[in-house]
Amino acid sequence: MNSFYTRPFKPTCLVLFLTVQMFALVAIPVFGQKSNDSTTLKLKKLSIEELLNVEVTSVSMRPEKLSEVASAIQVISGEDIHRSGVTRLPEAFRLVSNLQMEQVNSHDWAITARGFNGLPSTGGILANKLLVMVDGRSVYNPLFGGVFWDVQNVMLEDLDRLEVVSGPGSTLWGANAVNGVINVVSKSAKETQGLVATTSSGSFLQNITQARYGFHIDSSLFIRVYGQRFDQRSTVLENGKNGKDAWSMNQGGFRLDYYASKKNTLTFQGDLYDGASNDSTAHANTNGQNLLAHFVRKISDRSNLSIKAYYDRTWRKTPSSATPFAYQLNTYDIDIQHRFPIKQNHSVLWGVAYRFQKDQTTAALYPPQKNMPLYSGFIQDEIAVVPEVIKFTVGSKFLNNVFTGFEFQPSARFAWTPSKSNTWWAAVSRAVRIPTRFDSDVTLTSKFNSEKVLAYEAGYRVRPVEELSLSFSTFYNKYSSLRSIDTAAGTTQGIVVANSQRAESWGFEFSGNYQATRWWHLRGGFTYFDKNISPTSPKVLPLSGPFEGVDPKNIFMFQSVMDLKEHWQLDLTGRYVDALRGVPPGYPIVPSYFTFDARIAWNFNSLEFSCVGQNLWADQHTEVGLSRIPRTIYGKVTWRF
Amino acid sequence: MAILRVIHLQIIAILLCGLNCAQGQKQAAPEYQVKAVFLFNFAQFVEWPPSAFSETNDIIIGVLGENPFGNFLGETVRGEEVNGHPLKVQHYAKIEEIKACHILFINLTEALEIKHAITNLKPKHTLTVSDVDGFTAQGGMIRFFNEDKKTRMRINLPATKDAELKISSKLLRLAEIVSSKKQQ
Repeated sequence: MNSFYTRPFKPTCLVLFLTVQMFALVAIPVFGQKSNDSTTLKLKKLSIEELLNVEVTSVSMRPEKLSEVASAIQVISGEDIHRSGVTRLPEAFRLVSNLQMEQVNSHDWAITARGFNGLPSTGGILANKLLVMVDGRSVYNPLFGGVFWDVQNVMLEDLDRLEVVSGPGSTLWGANAVNGVINVVSKSAKETQGLVATTSSGSFLQNITQARYGFHIDSSLFIRVYGQRFDQRSTVLENGKNGKDAWSMNQGGFRLDYYASKKNTLTFQGDLYDGASNDSTAHANTNGQNLLAHFVRKISDRSNLSIKAYYDRTWRKTPSSATPFAYQLNTYDIDIQHRFPIKQNHSVLWGVAYRFQKDQTTAALYPPQKNMPLYSGFIQDEIAVVPEVIKFTVGSKFLNNVFTGFEFQPSARFAWTPSKSNTWWAAVSRAVRIPTRFDSDVTLTSKFNSEKVLAYEAGYRVRPVEELSLSFSTFYNKYSSLRSIDTAAGTTQGIVVANSQRAESWGFEFSGNYQATRWWHLRGGFTYFDKNISPTSPKVLPLSGPFEGVDPKNIFMFQSVMDLKEHWQLDLTGRYVDALRGVPPGYPIVPSYFTFDARIAWNFNSLEFSCVGQNLWADQHTEVGLSRIPRTIYGKVTWRF
Repeated sequence: MAILRVIHLQIIAILLCGLNCAQGQKQAAPEYQVKAVFLFNFAQFVEWPPSAFSETNDIIIGVLGENPFGNFLGETVRGEEVNGHPLKVQHYAKIEEIKACHILFINLTEALEIKHAITNLKPKHTLTVSDVDGFTAQGGMIRFFNEDKKTRMRINLPATKDAELKISSKLLRLAEIVSSKKQQ
């Protein structure tokens, strides 16, 4: 249930079942009407991965789930990520064209959807409107609403897919899903049996070594364990000096999948990590552990139950900095979801969750320790108005948090699927960003309220031919009570964090997948974004606007994945990002840039040798802030047994 | 009313059958259409030693037992070749008939029959494929199974190595691997 588009029930099943029953009565072959030749051709054009995804009971030959979803979702497969040559999870988001992704330095990234990558003095790491989950575990922090990307590492070899929704996902997902939701989904232990060992070494990436071993006790109990170590070198500063932001990390973990019966599955997984990173003035340590248990019961084709609980601790400290900073966050979460049908055309999903977060910090936050309980519940009804053609989904999330009390986040979605290869959709949602510690607890006098957005979206998905799928979406968002920094006469600090800005944003996203031949596929996307932030009070400081977002207008990306003869692979990814707009005077200007990565690999039995060049276009380029990201080349050996 | 509708649908079905049944009898269930294309794909993801082509230059895809593919397998490989080896389909009733075969789909159901087929297969470098339970445990190499309505593969790596077959890592990555004799 960590992905709302892989719902088990599809009306097609029932229709198909009835069809089969009917045809069986007169004892003729069921699928006799279709000419063999066209089916042969279509199936032969599929890559082996796609062939594995064909539902054999219907031979629909389309990634059917995606095309039915009424949202701007993009899914990137683990294989495409492997073929892109990226070395760490945050880098993989470059492959998703509806995300805006900027590398700040060697270990920090600014990632958002539909804008609002904010620019604090240290660089653009104050994106705070995205919900990020790793196998159902929320990893955005209540300190500033963003993600500590340096410690979000998964073994990419075991990654199944990235699902990225741009636009509010708050009705289903929760409090921070204002502009988008990222789901990082790893493969099950059953899908990752055997030994994999990889080691890479290069110019910017000093070293990354990983090993995973998957085994099973019997046919229902599968386990994998993994460990990895990496060392990353420093970026270069504008003045040519060493950025001194090298970092390293050790991480290990496990996953256990127990298929107790055909209906019940149980998953346990956990990770622990320990890292050391630098910035120009300080040396930082990071450390964390997490443990998750997830039980899923399939009650029927149209009904299931999911119970998930996890614990997560993350800690970091910058001991030698001029402004020492230590932060620890403990999260306990339990989440129950249940789906059931009412009559033939309603599918109801509801859930309740409780999250308890407790932090401790040396930063100037009052109080320095805070307990943050969060109660939430949601209910959503998916109504098949005309089965398989018109679908209407309404629902709302309700939550109670320690900062602002009760909040609600309703949405309504509509999808029209006139034929199997076309879907039109539209949605209206209201989402809130509940305050973070930074909003509420930095200034003593602040009474920070939630930021609100009313989002209008529409989109179209089409598959004109089997080899090509296209998706187009457009949006208009209206934000109110947006964060501002206001002058506050008579207070000790002279400023207060307030809600005195409003904004509107608009744009469109276009993406496509093309299977050119059985050995070559292409992906690409283009995103246009624009916004307007304006103060609602004369007290608002002029920096407040850029603080919330300095966003590029146009982003373009493409990926080409080629299997050549004799075990060779040749892969390319490229991207263009416009200049950051609205950077205030005195801050480094970030011009537009184009760059590309290339990968060449050779497979020999269980060995794979690859050579990857990243950011090849220029010696170095800036994505945000001061650090320049260098051109890099690394070599990699993978052994799979 | 409901009964009337069923009868009405049956009439339509019969009419449809009248138009299509001639060829319809030979058509494969979609599950086997997909499996046929997998067999075709295996020809590209498996490397045979040169001695496997001493009898014939063709890559022979054999079907032992009742043919579940209709004429679909033949159409899938028609006119195709891999590294200069044209693809051919052969049907066998008995294991003893097989002289040269590169990929063998074994459509037998009895465990004893399967055991017999695997042990009495004459060509040394044959990739054996089936979708019966316990096929890899019996020494078979690739077994298809269904999960969430989709086709999955289990590959018995030691058995493919014994037959001197090199299986592409791409295929291995997408399959469940049986890597030691114990696990079979």
